[in-house]
Amino acid sequence: MSSASKPKILELDGVSYSYDQNRSVISDLSFSVGEGAFIGLLGANGSGKSTILKLGSGILKPLSGSLLLWGKSLHTLNNRDRAKLISYLPQTLDITVPFTIKELVSMGLYPYDIPPAMTVDDALDMVGLRDKADAHLTDLSGGERRRTFIAMTLLQGAGLLLLDEPLANLDIKYQIELLKLLRRLKEQRNISVVMALHDINIALQFESVILIQNGRIIASGDPETVLTREMVKHAFDVNVEIKGSGTGGIYVSYENNFL
Amino acid sequence: MSQVRMLVLIAVTLLIVLCSVFLGPRIVSPMATTDIDKEILFSIRLPRVLVALLMGMALGASGAVLQGILRNPLADPYILGISSGASLSAALGIIGGLTFLGTFTVPMLAFCGALVTGGIVGVMGWKRGGLWPDRLLLAGVGLSFLFSALLMLMMSISTDEGLRRAMLWIFGDLSMSEWPRIPYGLAFVMIGILLSTTRAKALNALILGDEFAHSLGFAPRRERFILFISVGLMTGASVSLGGMIGFIGLLIPHIMRFFLGSDSRMLIPASALGGGALLCIADLISRSLLPPLELPAGVITAIIGAPYFLYLLRRKDVLSI
Repeated sequence: MSSASKPKILELDGVSYSYDQNRSVISDLSFSVGEGAFIGLLGANGSGKSTILKLGSGILKPLSGSLLLWGKSLHTLNNRDRAKLISYLPQTLDITVPFTIKELVSMGLYPYDIPPAMTVDDALDMVGLRDKADAHLTDLSGGERRRTFIAMTLLQGAGLLLLDEPLANLDIKYQIELLKLLRRLKEQRNISVVMALHDINIALQFESVILIQNGRIIASGDPETVLTREMVKHAFDVNVEIKGSGTGGIYVSYENNFL
Repeated sequence: MSQVRMLVLIAVTLLIVLCSVFLGPRIVSPMATTDIDKEILFSIRLPRVLVALLMGMALGASGAVLQGILRNPLADPYILGISSGASLSAALGIIGGLTFLGTFTVPMLAFCGALVTGGIVGVMGWKRGGLWPDRLLLAGVGLSFLFSALLMLMMSISTDEGLRRAMLWIFGDLSMSEWPRIPYGLAFVMIGILLSTTRAKALNALILGDEFAHSLGFAPRRERFILFISVGLMTGASVSLGGMIGFIGLLIPHIMRFFLGSDSRMLIPASALGGGALLCIADLISRSLLPPLELPAGVITAIIGAPYFLYLLRRKDVLSI
């Protein structure tokens, strides 16, 4: 859901997908991502958030509908050309081989024959991990691991990041750290971010949210408009109170459910 | 730094190969002046050392590739049943007297056996659009038992000559090394190493997972298939040269990661060299320790390698699990 003035990077139009013939996971989905967008994809477990990101990144091919990346059909793009435009980070980062941080980040150069101007050290600088270049992934905190992979995508040069639950299993401190980093990258490098997430209060920090239920968009736009009591009840089947934080913002309270 | 270590590895491997050629129950001078020495050198030692080197290279590199494409630190051609599939296919060809491709028949049968077994393991490990490493491993172990049992069945009902040859395929034996198969073995192993090394970036990406590999601009299924062909070539060559020898494919990539890091561009050639060097040493020990008795080389590789492997498992820079 981009603002009309900004060029569209990714456009999904009437996209449907199903893992088997009996059950449709995504039905007639349409939305677009503009340049510099910061979008939260919100929905209950099994609502289809991950599938949408996999469709958007070209990992899955839709059964019907069209996907355009910078105006070109996503599935006709050469793999390496696509990798320079879009990067997808899966939810699980279970890697059994002990690559060093530098080795991992340098994989971002794989789509290139002639290396771009940015170096591995530059990318590590941007995510604040240069001093840990020779460490192994197991030596890092959950937040640092995520930042390592963000550095890889920076080197890859992709203008659009599709992140599947990057905040899962992170302490709140690291969640905030990662969100601040992504916002900074959006400001400085005009990178667009679409992120699947669970936490409604974190979703309130986004410029725009898309609320998903059973593979369909049930609301989208400014989070304070979308995340109403009724919509949250509809999407998550819980009763919440939307409260003022006293500093101009709002937050979602779940306390009624524990009474 | 890793380039220097690679050069040291090349030098050490060459030294071990030379020692293996000239040392043994009878020490042969490089100048080999007597007819007996010349006979030992050219008819026995050289083919035997070359077979050990090629088999070790094939198994080491195959282990490095399989551990990557299956994302499992336990994967190797032996555990996944690929070696036993190749052995069964080759043994059937030999006992059945098949010669439709001349001396090329056995290596080709071993290659096809390796590919078919790998294919079956792959089908068994496939679920919901992806390969499940644990399923693959269990399927491989199951097939390995089945094929070994079939080989033993063949042993039980075959003639003495058939029995002797079938024993070779089960336990691995370097004492029967002969020149005619070496050119095919060399060609298969070199093509396998070159093919996998040229796809090493894709292998690095596959280690992170198919979704990462896709995101980094690779087609995961195509890359896995190409890498799998390279494993089939190398395992088929190894089995057709000297039967099944376990443990090298599992052990060597872990040791090489410790010395040279995890980047497959270095790890594949390093595992090939390390595997070749280990099997040459093991063979040298096996024929020198209690002459004229020869111990199975596979036993020596396990006795040398297993304690070191267990030590490495304690280090987190060798294995992230």
